[in-house]
Amino acid sequence: MIDPVFALDLIKILLVLIVLSAALIITRRDFIALTSLYAAQSFLIVLLSVGLFAIDRNPLLLIIAAITLLSKVVIIPFILTKVQRRLKMKREIEFSHLSPIGAILLAVVAFFFIYALFSGILSGLDKGVLSTVVSLAICLVFMGLIIIFTRKQTITNVIGYLTMENGVLLFSLFVAELSLLIEVLILLDLIMLIVLVALMAFGIDSSIEEFHSQLNVLDRWLGREQR
Amino acid sequence: MIATLAYLALGLLLLPALAPLLAFLKDGRAGRKAFLTAIGIAALLLTALAAYVLYTGTQLLLPLYDLAPGLGLTLLVDRLSAFFILIIAVVAFAVAIYSAGYVEHLKSPVRKNLLIALMSIFVLSMVLVISAKGMVGFLFSWELMSLASFLLVNFEYEKKGTRKAGLYYLAMTQLSTVFLIAATGVIYAQTGSFDLQRVAFSSPFWASLAFLFAFLGFGIKAGIVPFHKWLPYAHPAAPSNISALMSGLMIKVAIYGLVRFLLTVLPPGPVWWGILLLTAGTVSAILGVIYALKEHDLKRLLAYHSIENIGIIVMGLGLFEIFSAAGLHAVALLALGGALFHTLNHALFKSLLFLTSGSVLNATKTMNIERMGGLSARMPGTAALFLIGAVSISALPPFNGFVSELMLFEAFFQAYLLASPYLQMLLVIAFSVFALTSALAAACFVKAYGVVFLGVPRSKEAKEAKEAPRSMLAGPAVLAALCIVLGLFSFQLFAIAGFSFPVPDLLVVGLLLLAVYALTAFALRNVGKRRTCETWSCGYPSAGSVAEYTASGFSEPIIRIFDAIFLPKLTVEREYHDGQKALFKRGTAEMRLMRFFEEYLYDPVARAVEKAAAFVARLQDVDLDLYVAYIFVSALLLIIVARFLI
Repeated sequence: MIDPVFALDLIKILLVLIVLSAALIITRRDFIALTSLYAAQSFLIVLLSVGLFAIDRNPLLLIIAAITLLSKVVIIPFILTKVQRRLKMKREIEFSHLSPIGAILLAVVAFFFIYALFSGILSGLDKGVLSTVVSLAICLVFMGLIIIFTRKQTITNVIGYLTMENGVLLFSLFVAELSLLIEVLILLDLIMLIVLVALMAFGIDSSIEEFHSQLNVLDRWLGREQR
Repeated sequence: MIATLAYLALGLLLLPALAPLLAFLKDGRAGRKAFLTAIGIAALLLTALAAYVLYTGTQLLLPLYDLAPGLGLTLLVDRLSAFFILIIAVVAFAVAIYSAGYVEHLKSPVRKNLLIALMSIFVLSMVLVISAKGMVGFLFSWELMSLASFLLVNFEYEKKGTRKAGLYYLAMTQLSTVFLIAATGVIYAQTGSFDLQRVAFSSPFWASLAFLFAFLGFGIKAGIVPFHKWLPYAHPAAPSNISALMSGLMIKVAIYGLVRFLLTVLPPGPVWWGILLLTAGTVSAILGVIYALKEHDLKRLLAYHSIENIGIIVMGLGLFEIFSAAGLHAVALLALGGALFHTLNHALFKSLLFLTSGSVLNATKTMNIERMGGLSARMPGTAALFLIGAVSISALPPFNGFVSELMLFEAFFQAYLLASPYLQMLLVIAFSVFALTSALAAACFVKAYGVVFLGVPRSKEAKEAKEAPRSMLAGPAVLAALCIVLGLFSFQLFAIAGFSFPVPDLLVVGLLLLAVYALTAFALRNVGKRRTCETWSCGYPSAGSVAEYTASGFSEPIIRIFDAIFLPKLTVEREYHDGQKALFKRGTAEMRLMRFFEEYLYDPVARAVEKAAAFVARLQDVDLDLYVAYIFVSALLLIIVARFLI
């Protein structure tokens, strides 16, 4: 098996790559790239779980890796691609509140403060990788938030939520109880799948706000239809 | 044994909370009587318990319930709590007897049951506030008391104005809780404990901050001017037995809080604490009585007198602080004794007055005293009881009100002992205002008693009024008897409690007065020519109620003197047929007294709150993206703040 020291280095490299993938998600506009980046990010987490297994020897980590691989690397990206094809949109054109450049700058600021806080608190504890992991995981959650509020299209918002979820997953891999994590993971993936299926079924081809007005039957009766 | 007694009393007080279940019975009258009896027995048990603690000076520790580890609801009854429990128990006992008759006047059985349930919860919550060992239990019971009283104020919610009174009350009472939580926060930050014990503050600033928060919190609840506006709305809106509990007891619970903080929680304070209390008390006393003078709604008149009397009590506390700061402990104790005794006395005579005015309301169906008159012939028992209350509140010897006010006057007389001439001047001014207050209170009750009970009836309802049922006389009679006993035997009672205050032995004074009254009555009956005519008809043969002295007429000269305070406001609106304003079409003119505090304090604050609310509403009415951005910004700010804190 792999040498634990090597595994630890590998984990650090993987962590950096995960954050890099999130940064790329913030800046990219085309949907195909976004989906691929998300799949890649999830795959990195799979590798991370396997790396951790090399150190901890906890079989639950392998189960988590398997679930993540199946749901986040295969099924969700597959459905996302399907949705995109149906929507016939290739790029995100409008942004709300911040441009991608502003968004990535904001992410850098957030990263700085998060790292400053958690390295201060956690540096005294264990092997040193923990403070990095916690900072990066929380940073991933924040980056997911940035994606959600800077993009208008529902499909990109979904990717934002998924990135946040990856952050939570990353955090829990190191900190939380593993058996509980598996249950949460499956639940969250199910929710995401339902949202995506809803997207396909109802054909939300733009933002949530506009979809609301479509749902409002009363408005249609009264002739106040907005679309 | 004593602890079992206490638990039993609390259990009995909680029992009537089940009263709404009586709705399942065909006739719940017997059940209601049983529940009211439970309240009465609980009150008697509490009286015994309080008397025991007061007499022996023992402390009683009663663990009740743990809300969470470290946040226990534990009761601790010491002499101060016991004194206030005694007040609550005595008044609750009288009100329970009165309610047996009063409740049956309500129309729906559901209401009758509900009133008893809420009443018992209200009384229980007050007992819990007063015996709470720590601030957590105190605030918990305080909120219970506020909510119970809010529901009781709203009890007749379908009546015009009641819901407004209820909301007004709720807003003010919650504001008071906010300040109390702030005071708790300061104390916790200094000690790390929620216990109501002496706090060693790290600097005088924190002590003064805790005092200010406590003063505001308790001041709002006690109805100190300018936080008093809720009181004349809320107290009259509630059913009369509840008005008696609210005016007689609830505002005293706030006084308890203030005394508890001053005596056992806060360290001896700087002199400005006393000055603040004295000033607030003086302003409350004089404004309370002046507002009462122009009031023609009997219950509202009584509510304004509550503000006046709370003012007198707070004046006593102010004197206590001022003399304590000057090291004059004997005088300080006299002032504190006067304030506490007045608290007890006011609870007794104000409950008595509210209960008897409730009987009047039931008999005449109106609270407007201009529509009453001649009730002493129709309701002699109620009239006699009201008279005892009126004489007591007017501080006439040998009744209890006289003794407590005399003690405060005596404390004022010692102003010359103070070193600072400014303080002396302040005390002399406050003293003069206090004297004026007492005189005006007497004038006001001459008006109230004279217009309500004497003369001839001014309305059909007053003419047809009938005496209240026996229980509605027995309840107030207990209080009236206590008013007399506490007055006549005040000297002896103080001696039993171990205090030697310089008060005259009123038993002797009382006997002398009785002899003088008897002689005068005898002389009037037997010497010279007599002509009998109606009161207020100035010796002329009766010309009916229209020729009578009205309440407005009686108070008009006094109101004229205090014109500058009432500030009458004239608004005239005219409409014209033409643009040149030559041909008058119609117009309205309205003259009303300016609501100073509402127009210059409450309304601006309300407008500011509304503006803030509009700003928040603008923040709220946005799209989903911005909501997520809010979360992002708040979380990031939290992290930044945490970075600098840790």
